[in-house]
Amino acid sequence: MILSIEELSITAHRRTLVDHVSFAIRAGEFMALVGQSGSGKSLLSQAIGQLLPSNLKATGTIQFEESNLLERTPKEMRSLRGTGISYIFQDYQGAFTPFRSIGAHFDEYQKVHGEKSSTVRKVKAAEALESVGLDASLLRRYPFQLSGGQLQRAAIATSLMLSPRLLIADEATTALDSVSGHRVMELLAAKQKETGCAILFITHDWRHVRRYAHRLSVMQEGKIVESGGKHRILDHPRHEYTRKLIEAAPILGRSLNSGLEDES
Amino acid sequence: MNNDYQAKHSGGAPIGEEQPLLRVQQLSRTYTGAKRPAVDNISFDLERGECLGLVGESGCGKSTLSRCLMRIEDADSGSIWLDGQDIARLNARKLKAYRRRIQIVFQNPSASLNPKLKIADSLIDPYEQLVNGTPLQHFTYTSREAYLRQLLEAVELPAELMNRYPHELSGGQRQRVTIARAIGIEPDVILFDEPTASLDVISQGAVLDLLATLRTSLGLSYLFISHDLAAVHRISQHMMVMREGKIVDRFAASALMSETRHPYTKELISIF
Amino acid sequence: MKSTVSVETSDPHKRKWHKPRAQAIIAILFALFVLTASFYAFVILKHDPSLTDLRGRLLGASAEHPFGTDHLGRDVLTRLLLGGVQTLGYSLLALGVALLIGIPLGIIAGYKRGWVDRLFVRVADGFLAFPDTIVAIVLSGLLGAGIGNLVLAIVIVKWVSYARLVRSIVLSESQKEYILIARTNGLSDARIMRKHLLPHIAGHVLVLASLDLGKIILLISSLSYIGLGAQPPTPEWGAMLNDSRPYFQSRPELMIYPGLAIVCVVLLANMLGDTLRDLFDVKKEVQP
Repeated sequence: MILSIEELSITAHRRTLVDHVSFAIRAGEFMALVGQSGSGKSLLSQAIGQLLPSNLKATGTIQFEESNLLERTPKEMRSLRGTGISYIFQDYQGAFTPFRSIGAHFDEYQKVHGEKSSTVRKVKAAEALESVGLDASLLRRYPFQLSGGQLQRAAIATSLMLSPRLLIADEATTALDSVSGHRVMELLAAKQKETGCAILFITHDWRHVRRYAHRLSVMQEGKIVESGGKHRILDHPRHEYTRKLIEAAPILGRSLNSGLEDES
Repeated sequence: MNNDYQAKHSGGAPIGEEQPLLRVQQLSRTYTGAKRPAVDNISFDLERGECLGLVGESGCGKSTLSRCLMRIEDADSGSIWLDGQDIARLNARKLKAYRRRIQIVFQNPSASLNPKLKIADSLIDPYEQLVNGTPLQHFTYTSREAYLRQLLEAVELPAELMNRYPHELSGGQRQRVTIARAIGIEPDVILFDEPTASLDVISQGAVLDLLATLRTSLGLSYLFISHDLAAVHRISQHMMVMREGKIVDRFAASALMSETRHPYTKELISIF
Repeated sequence: MKSTVSVETSDPHKRKWHKPRAQAIIAILFALFVLTASFYAFVILKHDPSLTDLRGRLLGASAEHPFGTDHLGRDVLTRLLLGGVQTLGYSLLALGVALLIGIPLGIIAGYKRGWVDRLFVRVADGFLAFPDTIVAIVLSGLLGAGIGNLVLAIVIVKWVSYARLVRSIVLSESQKEYILIARTNGLSDARIMRKHLLPHIAGHVLVLASLDLGKIILLISSLSYIGLGAQPPTPEWGAMLNDSRPYFQSRPELMIYPGLAIVCVVLLANMLGDTLRDLFDVKKEVQP
C-alpha cells in the first residue's frame, strides 16, 4: 500500500462533508474515485496533500508510505509535494499564471525543488514537454496561446517532472472536450506504465473508469457506498446508487460493461 | 404582415416541392488573422420535427456556426433560409420577426442567466419582446405568473423557483430554466450548443430525456451541437460530423456504426 | 442582497459579524451626539449663525455657547452644525451629479464598444490628466471663487472614475451569454442596458461612492480653507478653520472643533464604504 486512508472525516462547522471514509491504493495502481459533484470526492483528494481550506478540518489517518500525512507539518508537506505526491486539477487555466511563459513556470518549478543549473533546467523542461507530446517551442508561449488540451498536457508534464510516487488527478478531463480528454487519458495511462506511479483518479466519467482504472470506489454524499475491482462493480453493481450512476452514463449502445469479454 | 409577405415572396428562395424548415447553404466565416475559416462552406437542411446532431471537438467551428445561425455574428458568405426567407443578410429590424422562430440554449447555464435577475425576469424576455400578442398553441398567456408557471412545469421544475435567483439553483435546474426560456415562445427551431457539457452525469441524462420529450410534445426541431457523441447519438435522427470548419461526414443516426463511416467518425466512436 | 456563503469559502461566524457591529455602534453613537447637539442648538438656544456680536467675541464654553464664540462673536456650535449640513450637502450634490453623468456614459461606452468606446477612453484619459485641486483652482480663477464652482470642479474630476468603473463592469458582463441571448430575443440596446446591465453596477458604484464621499468632503473643506470654496459668512468647516487661524495661540479649540468634525465625518464615510463593501461582497459572487 502506498496510500491508505482510514476513517477520514472532513468537517466544516458542525457539518460533515466527508464521513468516515477508508480506502487504499497500491503502488503503481490506477484507482478511480467516482461520484457526482458535491459528493466530497474533491475534498477528500485535497485532504491528502493538506490542501483543504483552513476552515475545514480533517480527522482520521492518511497513511502515505511510512507516515500519517495529517500529522505532518506544512514544511514537511511542502518537501513531499512534487516528489512524493503531485496533483493535476480540472482547472488547467489556473495552473499557469497568465502573464508568464510556459517555460518560466517549468523553470521556477525546478528551481524551487533545488535544480541550480539553468542549462539543466532548460533541457529538462524541453524533455518534459516533449514527453507529453508537445513541441519544446511551446516553452516560449504564454498560457492563453495554448488550447485547453495542450495546457492540461503541460500541467501533467510539470506534475510528473519530479517522478512522484502518487499522482492525484482531480477531474483532470472534465473541462476538456471528449477528444482532448481522451488524449489526456491516453497520456496519463502511458506515463503510468513508464514511471510506475500510482494514480488516484477523481472523476464522474465512466468511460475513463472503464478503460483505465484497476479498482474504484463510488462516493455519495461524503460516504463511500461501494468499492471493488472495476469488472465487479461495472458488471455487477451492488449498491442502488452505483447502478443509477452507471445507467446515467452517456454511452453508445445499450449498456456499459467493463470490457471483460473484450480482454479475454 | 409586411414581413410575412416579404418572407414568402422575396425572390431567390429555392422553389421545391417540400422545403426544409432550415436550409443552410455554403456558409463561411473566417476570423481576421486566422489561418483557415472557422466555418468552411457548410450546407445542410433541417427538416421540420427532426433533431439534427452536429458532433465535433472544441475548435472545430461548431460554436461559430451556431453564432452565425443566430446572427450574433455575421457570416462572410452563404445563406440561411428559415421558412423561405434568407436571414443571413436581413437587417436588425426585419430580423426581429424571425427571432421568434429560432432560439438558442448555450453550454453554461450560469452564464446564460443574468445573476442579478430573478428567474421570472429572465424567463419573460422572449415573450415580452417577440410574441406581440399572437396566441401560442401549447402555452397560454393569461397572466405573467400563470404563463411562467406553465413554462417551469414543462421543464419539470417547481413554480416557486421563478422568484429565486440563479445562484440558488443547481446546475441542472439552471439549464432547465434556459430551456424553458427557449421553448416558451414556441419557436420552430432550437439550437443547442453543448447543452449538457457543464452538467454532472445524472443531470445530463435527465436533461436529454426532457429535450426528447419536449421535441415531440411541442413539435419542435432541434439542431443539437456537442462534442459528446453519445449524447448526440441518443437524441438525434440525423447526424453530421464537423472537423476544422468542414462537415466531413453525415448520416442517419441509426447508421452510426456502419462500416462506411468517415475515418474521423470512427476515431470518435472508438473513444466512447 | 442575497448571497450564499458556501462552507468552503469562509467561516461566517468569525469574519462577517464583528467589524460591522462595532462600526454600527460607533456610527449610532455619533449620530446620537449630533442629534442632541442639534436639538440643543436649534431648539433651545436658537442662535443666528451669522449674527456678529463684537462684545461677545472669543468667549469660552458656557451653557449659552457650549463651544464658545468665534472672532466675530458668532456661536461656534451652531456654525459647526450648519457647516456640516453645507459640507455634506455639497459633497452629496457633487457626488450625485458625477454619478448621473458617469454611469450612463460608462454603460454606453462599455456596451457599444467600437468608436464610441475609443472616444470615451480618450476623453476620460484627458480628464484624468488633471489633478482635482488644479481643476478647482483654475475653475475658480476663470469663473470666480464660490461653492457652486467648486461643486462643478469636483463633478468634472469625479465623473470619470465612475464612468470607467461602470465601463469595465459592462465590458466584461456584455460578453456573457445572457447578454447575447437578450440580443437574440430582440431586446433593444436601451432595454438591455437598463434591465440587464444596470443591476450589476449598483453595488460596485455604491461602494466606490461611499469611499469617495470622505475624499470629497476633504476636498471641499481644504479648498474652502484656502478661500476657493464657501465664501463668508456661510458657515463651512474649511472656511471656519481658516477664520480661526489668527487666534490659534489664544483659542486653539476654534480650529480643533471644525478639524475634529472633518476627521470624524471622513472616518464615518470610510466606515460606511467599508461596511457596504462587506455587505455587497463585491468579490464573493459565488458561482457554484
